[in-house]
Amino acid sequence: MKNRRHFLKSSTACIALPFLESLGFRRFASANPTPVTPPKRLAFLGFGWGVTDESWCPDINTPGADYVLPEGLKPLQKHKSDFSVVQGMWNQFSVEGHAGSTWWLSGANKFGQPGQSMHNSISADQVAAEQLGMHTRFASLQLNCSKSAEASGHGPGLSMAWDRNGKPVAGLNDPVQVYHQLFSKDDVPLEEQQSRLAEKRSVLDTVMENAQSLRRGLGQDDTEKLEEYFQSIRDIETRLSKEEQWIGVARPEAPVIEPRKGITGKEEVRLMYDLLIAAFQTDSTRVITYRQPGGHGFLESLGAKVHPHDMSHYHSTRGEKLAASQKRDLTNSTLLAGLLDRLKATKEADGSSLFDNIALAYGSNIRTGHELTNCPTLITGGGAGIKLGENIVVSKDTPLCNSWLTMLHGVGVKVERHGDSTGILKQILV
Amino acid sequence: MIRNFSVIIFCLTLSSQLRAGTAEVTMPGEHRALLKTHCYQCHNADKQKGRVRLDDLPLTIANVETAERWQKILNALNAGEMPPEDEDPLPNDAKTEFLDDLSNLMVAARDRLSDQGSSGTLRRLNRREYQNTLRELLGVEIAVGELPADTGSGNYDTVGSNLFMSANQFEQYLALGRQALDKAFERELMADEERYWRYETEEISEKVAKHVKWQVDAKDRAERWVAAVEEAAARPENAEIVAKLREQVNNHEEKFRRLWAQIPGAPSPESFGFETVENNADKAHAARRSYWLPYHQYYLQQPHIDKGMYLALQSEHPSILENGAITFLVGWSAKTGGKWPAGNYVIRVRAALTGDGTPERRFLEFGVNPRGSQALSVHEVTGTMDEPQVIEIPFYFSDTNAERADRSLYIREKGTHDHYLITRLIAKEGAKQMEIGLGRPYAMWVDWAEIERIPDTDRQTPPGLTMLDPLPLDEKTKKSMPSVEEVRVALERFSKEAFRGRDPGEKYIDGLIGIYETRLERGDHFVSALKDSLAIALSSPMFLYLTEPSPDQKTRPLTDIELATRLSYFLHGSQPDPKLRRLAEAGKLSRPDVLSAQASRLLDDPRSRRFSDSFTYQWLGLDRLDFFQVDLQKHRRFDNGTKIAAREEIYQTVNYLLHNNLSVVNLLQSDFVFINAVLAEYYGIPGVTGDQFRRVPLPAKSPRGGLLGMAAVSLMGGNGEETSPVERGAWVLRKLLNDPPPPAPANIPQLARLAGQVLTTRERLSAHQEEAQCASCHRRIDPIGMGLENFDAVGAWRTENTYVVTDDNGKPVAGKEKTWTIDPSGQLHNGPAFDDYFELRDIIAAKQDDFARGITEGLLEYALGRPVGFRDETLVDSVVEQAKQNDYAFRAFLDAIVTSKEFRSR
Repeated sequence: MKNRRHFLKSSTACIALPFLESLGFRRFASANPTPVTPPKRLAFLGFGWGVTDESWCPDINTPGADYVLPEGLKPLQKHKSDFSVVQGMWNQFSVEGHAGSTWWLSGANKFGQPGQSMHNSISADQVAAEQLGMHTRFASLQLNCSKSAEASGHGPGLSMAWDRNGKPVAGLNDPVQVYHQLFSKDDVPLEEQQSRLAEKRSVLDTVMENAQSLRRGLGQDDTEKLEEYFQSIRDIETRLSKEEQWIGVARPEAPVIEPRKGITGKEEVRLMYDLLIAAFQTDSTRVITYRQPGGHGFLESLGAKVHPHDMSHYHSTRGEKLAASQKRDLTNSTLLAGLLDRLKATKEADGSSLFDNIALAYGSNIRTGHELTNCPTLITGGGAGIKLGENIVVSKDTPLCNSWLTMLHGVGVKVERHGDSTGILKQILV
Repeated sequence: MIRNFSVIIFCLTLSSQLRAGTAEVTMPGEHRALLKTHCYQCHNADKQKGRVRLDDLPLTIANVETAERWQKILNALNAGEMPPEDEDPLPNDAKTEFLDDLSNLMVAARDRLSDQGSSGTLRRLNRREYQNTLRELLGVEIAVGELPADTGSGNYDTVGSNLFMSANQFEQYLALGRQALDKAFERELMADEERYWRYETEEISEKVAKHVKWQVDAKDRAERWVAAVEEAAARPENAEIVAKLREQVNNHEEKFRRLWAQIPGAPSPESFGFETVENNADKAHAARRSYWLPYHQYYLQQPHIDKGMYLALQSEHPSILENGAITFLVGWSAKTGGKWPAGNYVIRVRAALTGDGTPERRFLEFGVNPRGSQALSVHEVTGTMDEPQVIEIPFYFSDTNAERADRSLYIREKGTHDHYLITRLIAKEGAKQMEIGLGRPYAMWVDWAEIERIPDTDRQTPPGLTMLDPLPLDEKTKKSMPSVEEVRVALERFSKEAFRGRDPGEKYIDGLIGIYETRLERGDHFVSALKDSLAIALSSPMFLYLTEPSPDQKTRPLTDIELATRLSYFLHGSQPDPKLRRLAEAGKLSRPDVLSAQASRLLDDPRSRRFSDSFTYQWLGLDRLDFFQVDLQKHRRFDNGTKIAAREEIYQTVNYLLHNNLSVVNLLQSDFVFINAVLAEYYGIPGVTGDQFRRVPLPAKSPRGGLLGMAAVSLMGGNGEETSPVERGAWVLRKLLNDPPPPAPANIPQLARLAGQVLTTRERLSAHQEEAQCASCHRRIDPIGMGLENFDAVGAWRTENTYVVTDDNGKPVAGKEKTWTIDPSGQLHNGPAFDDYFELRDIIAAKQDDFARGITEGLLEYALGRPVGFRDETLVDSVVEQAKQNDYAFRAFLDAIVTSKEFRSR
């Protein structure tokens, strides 16, 4: 026990110095005559149930910049030169027609692990968080819809993110919660904060002691299961040592006002988008995922009375369900257009905009109905050198993970491969 | 003929292969021919188009790689990608058979490959067990909604491999444990507290009288103001301006008087007492109309308003009257005795029927938060004005009721407030029954409503708290601080109790003491410091995990203590009770006769409802009941009160069979139903009075009796508006016939050809038979669903159905409508034909062995905490066999499971 603590303490000390320096430059940026290069950011937004493909997907026969923006993307007209739609990609192993998000960012095979009925692997955002997360208070931020994710077509999981062990990472379901996480002021004196951290650690030590006694006499299978508990505790320790680094550094001033409680539907998305920008703007994190709402509450806020899952099967009856599905697309595109407006309007220290420094993918593992091929994918932002303004048609059945890998590389995350990637997707690069 | 015969033989072999789960999962060899003819040409050793080679593909799926290769074939065929367009298509019949087998084969292969093979048994308490265990240990109810539900993975929530742990969750356990301790300490301290409050409803009469008086007066003032304005307008000197003003408003009387200020000499409405911030001329006009006045005067003419009140509709009056519901706030302020402690309460309502309502208007509903939430329970009123009756409603009041809205309790007439459109509709219909053409006759009268706390005086102190004795539990206590030694003993005893008898070891207790002391140093009160350390015990793995260690992973008999834990979590969803623990400690529980007797005892205990409810919920997939709102405008009778009862019918029926050890085959068909007055009213079964569910015999030829006749089951097979024969057929195959269709496959081209056409349901579904990709599953599913079409989306019996094409706003399109007589006849795939629902039900009921097998597999997975795989075949056989010898009596299954070697060993 002592050894482990010792390690954590010393590693903290190592990290702390360069880190404080980097914080220094931000704080006194105005006094510094040379402009600072703003950090790269990465975001993934998923909307669960797919899209109305006939009115959302651009015609694959008109690739390039001169494509006609389909009805479902019309609200994005004024940003047309600032995003690309990439067509032809999929996750080759996906078989779940009701899971738009579970394997979206990992490309894993649900049945890939003998002896398990539910397998996943690390999602692209968490890969990025491991490297980009060192510099910020939060390695990554997982935003979630407030209402049932299942009804929104996301599939199993606690958020869009899955950790290195393929276990679900929890998310924040409520804009108010996100706001407090990011901006709540801690006016507890420094010394007390430190002793609180110490107390938290002694709690962890005690339950670890218990876990070790429990482990004695267990067979290997049981030990592996109990490993999840150990991992949880280690995760908290990592978080605590991160907190320790940040002790004495006040949380940034909130660039947004505190959201009202109980906001749902499309307003909830708007709020989450605001918070996403605020989190990036204050450099609280550089990696964000958002599992967007698409269930009952969301449809109600559009005045659509159909059932979400029913709606996603508009194909045979059309009528009301199709109308709702299209209305949902329009609303999502309008919300995204608003996000792009604000990304462009948010200025960075060097005079560029947040838009210039972000790579953002927006889509789902489900195209429409139970279709899992040609996953709807929209990529935007100038942060990863992605070619913008085009209808990019790549060869059929290109792994989605190729585009995730390309984005990861684009924002400076060094990994050789991701999921089932076969390489960089050159077609989407400038 | 020969062809048919071979198909049947083949089906038998395939299904027995898959079902019996022999060691191998193999695609029947005859399908090789199809691959040979249509695929090998491009996918062979020399030529591998698309990097796919098929000639060396093994028919037996023994590993993930082979499974993926077969999955690719399934995907390509389902998506219609293969064979390519310039090649010969596959013959439809052969393709259908191929897809049928392959999709089932993939399910079997996935099962086989995901079988855990080993015997790891460590698992976390799932959310419901965690909640139950805290209830047993500390005697309090805590809200666990923030924890992951542990369902939805397709397995039961006891399956250990799906029960994960995360950093977040650990922190939630810490917080919830602390919360539970706070509540437990408080409840113990408040054990003898009494609380009582009565609301005398006649208060409302005074309000009505006052309001009527005001309305009469306001009307009079308004008349006088109007007369005065008219008088000024009639003056000759004003003729010109008046003419101009009248023209300006098209001679509209009220609009004209709105312009009173421009008429010289006209008095202001303010001078007649209409003084608000809005346009007071409008106020005067409204008072002059006094639309609701006759209805309010009608209220005052009713007898007994000096002693009670009549329940009306929320929208019939301005809100000032408040008689749409009786709402009373549970006190929190000093005036009502301070914060009301958590615990058991009873609500009593003295009510009577007036005799003026129609017969179905005899139910009250009770709930919290009259604005936001749906009712919690429904109660029949049988009292008369001569002899009113007192209805008792049990209610657990907890800290989750701290918000003002959640302390606001209400009683109203059933179904009057489910949706504002319905409320409006009811008011409109009610007005037709009234001479004054307004409002609705009053059906119910309520004398008073009261709430009373039931003190915990007789409650046994929960074991967790007993372990802390004699430490004080009051954070404000002035008693001297206990010695560290005393605290240490308490922590030891508590931990051991929480850890179900495991000894945590000295070092662990040192840790807890360390934390206790740090808290004291920080200046916390010792009771608070104690709670902090106890909360850690409730987040420690020895509390959160059930373990049956075996270092070499070998199978071994469970110890008596382990057996007690397993049995108790199976049948009570929580830790063993003292009696079970004593037997285990004495080493007697492993004796088969004792074990059987204990299982029986646990099942007799009311806590076994936790088992039957949570098993039933997961087994039958009842989460679907909450997937959608019922379209109340289309299905007026199926209001929320009825839905509560319909849901309860399933639980109550299963529990009734369990409690009385009756055959589970009653769920397929029975000559009785288990219902209460609300459902009897809904099903049209006479002679049932009261809120209690009870057995009611059915007349011959009743469509009720068995799951298929239950309204809630019909509801699940639709979307609350329309039925879904596909959903229903698949449910029957899955839940009743143990022949689950493969999950809805991905990438099948959607059927859009029939969109917008005016077709019957049968015509629409027939499109499924055109494509092999669809037919391979739907030929099994659709006939069953069509056979159930006589039940509408909310389980009411119908003989006709109508399809209306709707526009984008959901409005019917004129002329695009079709009504037809329902034809439920059909034939099961490769099975018998049926003419109607009753014959279909007979056919399904005859398959009781399949049903028994399905329920056995479910119970085993639930009991053993792992999926039931091919290696459990003998176990499943033996449980089914033992149950069959007892005519499938419910407890025979459980007894066979509990006494099986698998249940008694790890």
